[in-house]
Amino acid sequence: MLKFILRRILIMIPQLIILSVLIFALAKAMPGDALTGQLASSPKMDAQTLHELKQKLGMLDPPYVQYFRWLKGLLHGDMGMSIIHQTPVTQLLAGRMENTILLSAAVLILSYLIAIPLGIVSGRWTDSWADKMVVGYNYITFATPLFIFALLMLFIFGFVLGWFPTSGSVDIRVENGTFSYFMSKVNHLILPAFSGAIISTTVTIQYLRTEIIDTKIKDFVKTARAKGVSESNVYTRHILRNSFLPIAAFLGYDIVSLIGGSVFLESIYGYPGIGQLFITSIAQRDFSVVTALVMISGLATLVGTLLSDIILSAVDPRIRIE
Amino acid sequence: MKKKRHVFKFLSLFLALGLVLSACSSTTGGSKNNASKPKENIGNFPLAVKNTKKPVKDGSLTYGEVSDTPFEGTLDYAFYTGQPDFDVMQFFQEPLFATNGDYQFTQDGAATYKMSNNNKTITVKIKKNVNWSDGQPVTAQDYEYSFLVIGNKDYTGVRYGDAIIQSIVGMKDYHEGKAQNISGIKIIDDKTLSITFTDANPSLLTGLWAYAMPKHYLSDVPIKDLGKSDKIHKNAIGFGPYTITKMVPGESVEFTRNDNYWHGKPQLKTIIFKVVNPKVILQSLKKGEVDIANYPTDQYEAAKGSKNFQFVGKVDLAYSYIGFKLGHWDAKNSVNVMDNPKFADKRLRQAMAYALDEKSVGDRLYNGLRFPATGLIPPSFASWYSKDTDPVGYDPKKAKALLDKAGYKDVDGDGFREDPNGKKFVINYLAMSGGDIAEPLAKFYMQCWKNVGLNVQLVDGRLAEFNSFYKMVENDDPKVDIYGGAWGTGTDVDPYGLYGRDVPFNYSHFVSDKNDQLLKQGHSVKAFDHAYRQKTYVEWQKYMNDEMPIIPTLFRSVVTAVNNRVTNFTVDPADVFVWSEVGVSSDTPAAE
Repeated sequence: MLKFILRRILIMIPQLIILSVLIFALAKAMPGDALTGQLASSPKMDAQTLHELKQKLGMLDPPYVQYFRWLKGLLHGDMGMSIIHQTPVTQLLAGRMENTILLSAAVLILSYLIAIPLGIVSGRWTDSWADKMVVGYNYITFATPLFIFALLMLFIFGFVLGWFPTSGSVDIRVENGTFSYFMSKVNHLILPAFSGAIISTTVTIQYLRTEIIDTKIKDFVKTARAKGVSESNVYTRHILRNSFLPIAAFLGYDIVSLIGGSVFLESIYGYPGIGQLFITSIAQRDFSVVTALVMISGLATLVGTLLSDIILSAVDPRIRIE
Repeated sequence: MKKKRHVFKFLSLFLALGLVLSACSSTTGGSKNNASKPKENIGNFPLAVKNTKKPVKDGSLTYGEVSDTPFEGTLDYAFYTGQPDFDVMQFFQEPLFATNGDYQFTQDGAATYKMSNNNKTITVKIKKNVNWSDGQPVTAQDYEYSFLVIGNKDYTGVRYGDAIIQSIVGMKDYHEGKAQNISGIKIIDDKTLSITFTDANPSLLTGLWAYAMPKHYLSDVPIKDLGKSDKIHKNAIGFGPYTITKMVPGESVEFTRNDNYWHGKPQLKTIIFKVVNPKVILQSLKKGEVDIANYPTDQYEAAKGSKNFQFVGKVDLAYSYIGFKLGHWDAKNSVNVMDNPKFADKRLRQAMAYALDEKSVGDRLYNGLRFPATGLIPPSFASWYSKDTDPVGYDPKKAKALLDKAGYKDVDGDGFREDPNGKKFVINYLAMSGGDIAEPLAKFYMQCWKNVGLNVQLVDGRLAEFNSFYKMVENDDPKVDIYGGAWGTGTDVDPYGLYGRDVPFNYSHFVSDKNDQLLKQGHSVKAFDHAYRQKTYVEWQKYMNDEMPIIPTLFRSVVTAVNNRVTNFTVDPADVFVWSEVGVSSDTPAAE
């Protein structure tokens, strides 16, 4: 097992290097640069100064020089400067990451809290009215786009009922670090977290339901029943344990979603996070931010896959990794 | 309900598109009868809010920044890039000079000025009681420091490109590192300094860099690190009516009254600035969660008739246009060269302008809040805009006559005109994507040109994304014949920076001796005479409308939604102290 983990970690190194080359080449292949947008709106700029500026920002160096400069910085934990934000990328990301992780973790936890009971109910009592409701719910949430649903939630619970704040991650008027600050953060989190969670339960519910239905008719369950094990024990001990396997395997990947953020939620609820930063940085050609974010999510994906494998082998003794 | 409105918006867009297309395909040009309801006219919007009630003491107000992204938070004029940051700064930073309706400096601001007899030197005197919010006085050294920062070779912002900054005597030597100071800037005493320029330019009085930087606060940060310093991000200071007391990066700022504000105690105690998504701004306004917001004009129809807030508005400092690629940019010699024969005949260019039904575009796609442009200077420049420039209106008959005369005739009978040599004539049009209206607009223009027999096709058959658009335009991509863009003019009327012979932003590359001469006259020493400058710019607008290297298409309006409880708010450019005068007549906002 240890050997396996070590081997996987070693393989990550060339994978990351290839990823870095690819990201960098693709980023540089995009038309335009970070100055394009800025100057288009206020063109007080002569040709010479523009040239000087590009030189100063290192945009005119040959691509390989730029790549190695970037790589060298990366190894020192320096992801470069954001031209648009005039801030070191690490600092910029740190600021946004807190919000993103908070929101994504809330979405994740809520979605499991909703999905697991629903999946169990609909799998155990197949074709009952409860199952039909759950399946109906699943179809609706699967078909509803997040940005419409988030707007709808905001409209109903934020504006019409007025239960929750409608924008931002915290009320600026409360003192930092106090209890009311914490409550304000939670209060601002509920609506976006629920919107995200309800929309993202489909896969979990569906997996759980299918797995339970499949397992129900397996031989070892029949044996258990024949031995006179009580129905509730059959479910908790035998069926559920096996049905959770694919969901456990997903846990590792959820780490990626933790740091990826959600463009729609962030934008609609005015919740500054990573997802939006990524999209606007691409549009504004703020390369250092784009490359940093892709690298981080690349790394997270690799680690997430590894974790998934480890979790899977831990919960399922049949899978042995050598 | 929200969902429904979306669908409705979508439908109405298609409807609008249908109407528009039918408007331009009728050969009689009739856009007369299908106007079912009266369209908006920015002239009917007041500049100031109507609220005669007395403001309450120590009130608080919420300003909504309508944006779907967080603000960047670079809070210094020398370094900021995004409009949201500019909007944050308006509460706590202030230019040294107040301006009048022509955006020209007056003596009412934090500093007074005097021009020398030859108009090459300006002497600036900062008023005695002007202090930074930390109590330190605003000094002549602070003003000089902003030039020292911008001119420094380590400076990371984009402001050095400004022609006026570069025309300060000694700036070049300082920029190249040959001098420690800028020889043209002389400190006379702690509150007075003089700046000398290489040439006298009337644009000085609108375009001169007017922002001081707190030297006592910033000078311990090396200039190369200034852009990323917390001192201009989280903890920026200014001498404006309010000071930043708290910030949630990217989303909101709390401002508190600057009790030592030089122009009198501000009316409000606190202002909350927060970012609000355009999709929810209407609801936020209706609920009173936001008191003041620049309202997206494409949603104006939905907000009309709201009871708890009112609209003020004016014409924006911007115009949309369609440019012809008439040559190329010679980067080596930094000069525009007009050498593309395809559109050399100005009758062709004029005809293409006459073919466009801008009135229909403004009314149907923008509900009247954009309207036909009459020239290259928008009416927001009250003194320089010329009403009688012989605007090129919609006149397809004239367009056809001009094309006939120029020799563009349909020889092979396919419905499209061939060029004077009888060869197929296809015009490649580069249009930018973005927003719901971009596509119908481009299609509409193509339809209009088709109606006069011109075969116009989109470059690569689609709209171009922002960056690709500018890349193709800047690099004079041979695929592009004409391109649709927009310029923000800034407050300085001088169009040299967009149309001069040696400026890279002259994307059409139109050059002529007469253009050189008029542009030169416009910022010559003689043009300190208001009437002379006015005459020059009117002549230039006429000249450009005749030569038509750029078809000015639309002017735009900006409207601001203001809660009924707000007092003294105005968008009048002449009222620069608006934020210290704004108040609220009730502690709770009006809600619907």
